Amino acid sequence: MGDMVKGNVAMGEAAIRAGMHMYAGYPITPSTEIMEYLSWRAPQEDRVFIQAESEMAAMKMVYGAAATGARVLTASSGLGISCKQEGVSYMNMAQYPGVMINVVRYGDGLGSLMSGQTDYLREVKGAGNGDARMIVLSPSSVQEAYDLVYEAFDISQKYKSLVMILTEGGLGQMMEECEYSEMKTVPFASWGYTGDRSKDEYRPMGMGADVYAHALEMAAKRVTIKEEMQRWESGFLDDAEYVMLGYGLPGRAIKSYVKARRAEGEKIGYIRPISLWPFPEKAFKGINPGVKGFISVETSDDGGMVEDVALYGKKYGSGFEKVPVYGLFCPPGIPTLRFIGEKFEDIKSGKMKEVF
Amino acid sequence: MKEVVFAGFGGQGVLTAGLVLAQIALFNDKKATWIPEYGAAMRGGTSNCTVKYDPEEVGSPGQEEPDLVMALNNPSFTKFVNIVKPGGYMLVNSDLVTVDTDLRDDITVLKIPGSTISDGLGSSKALNIVMVGAMIKAMGDFTKEEAIAGMNDMFAKKGKNDFEMQNVRAFEAGYEAV
Repeated sequence: MGDMVKGNVAMGEAAIRAGMHMYAGYPITPSTEIMEYLSWRAPQEDRVFIQAESEMAAMKMVYGAAATGARVLTASSGLGISCKQEGVSYMNMAQYPGVMINVVRYGDGLGSLMSGQTDYLREVKGAGNGDARMIVLSPSSVQEAYDLVYEAFDISQKYKSLVMILTEGGLGQMMEECEYSEMKTVPFASWGYTGDRSKDEYRPMGMGADVYAHALEMAAKRVTIKEEMQRWESGFLDDAEYVMLGYGLPGRAIKSYVKARRAEGEKIGYIRPISLWPFPEKAFKGINPGVKGFISVETSDDGGMVEDVALYGKKYGSGFEKVPVYGLFCPPGIPTLRFIGEKFEDIKSGKMKEVF
Repeated sequence: MKEVVFAGFGGQGVLTAGLVLAQIALFNDKKATWIPEYGAAMRGGTSNCTVKYDPEEVGSPGQEEPDLVMALNNPSFTKFVNIVKPGGYMLVNSDLVTVDTDLRDDITVLKIPGSTISDGLGSSKALNIVMVGAMIKAMGDFTKEEAIAGMNDMFAKKGKNDFEMQNVRAFEAGYEAV
């Protein structure tokens, strides 16, 4: 049996056990416990912990440490990640691995302290300037948050890409059973700078002389990631009249809702994306060709993922291009099954119109 | 799936009380979630958390329609009395909840003099554990022995074995009061 562990604490411990060498960050609710925990835990394991003077500085510290081949982590929320975008873009250009965690608070600007999923478009569609993408993974439980952070460092090194763990205030703050895995001891990557000029290979600050080659390399890498990194959980798709899609807390809520309605005979299925980039488009392959609607369930003003549901949903299956895509947008906070149920009835009765 | 809300003044131990229930559930092979109400909190204001448990899995961890609300003060009672599931329980600390509690005829209000009981045991800090004992009895999902074993396991892992006897006495006193 595992014990009750807070989501933020589980993610901090996962980083330690995954062999993280260095953390730099700046506190912001509702992600602060990650760095509070690491401020205590990292020195115990002889890892570097830095509370930076700003979000920008923290990201540049992470960038610098990644250049030495270290396993690096930073965590923040909403606007904090906005401040980090320059560093994010530089790390993408340099193809340095690193892990970021966004414990989303609802809203734009300063936002609010409520839990939400309002950063979908920024994290999934972009990573600073340029065409870069981050691999974006989203957990629905404390155990999954732990497991994804634990694995994220390896994924990040494998694809020479930033990995973003996109989670929500509610998951960071909640407690749930969590079991920890073994402690890994990982050396610095062999390609990292050592500071010894006789050994270090010169690497240009920018893309180098051959921008064309860089473009082709990045494009090829993204094709590989799209093929290899799609992850999701789904159920009851083959005869579903409606398919709900949700990630994070709405993801677990729809799974629970769908199971309960199935027991009553309602023909409804669910897809819970775990990878958001790449979007798990393969999940659409098993859906009933007669499906009447896709429903994107998100804690958001007017949706982010709903656009991907439309884009990829209409790509698969015969006739899916005519299937309406609805947005079931939960208010700030923790989604409730009651709200999801009420809105689902509105969709079936035609009271709620499709988004796409 | 069962849902219990724990509410009171900051310092009354409601977050810990919720955690005790969640750990009891895990200890007895159930799944559980614990989530605090967070956001703009005020010193001296109310604090609450929601615990859900189920043999299989818990969907959304958020507050919806609790089977039982533990209200340790007046603001908590007033805030939550209307969301209790019909047929459910409002478990109040009758030493501090002085407002009219006869507002709904479809729920049961259990009045436990938790402060008097815990003071009688020599520790006002034991109030939350007294009320957890009463809550476990009212919910009826765990035997007294199962619950105490889960509670002791939790505090032992936190290195607080020294208080085990006190906690068990407080739990039993609350359990017997229902």
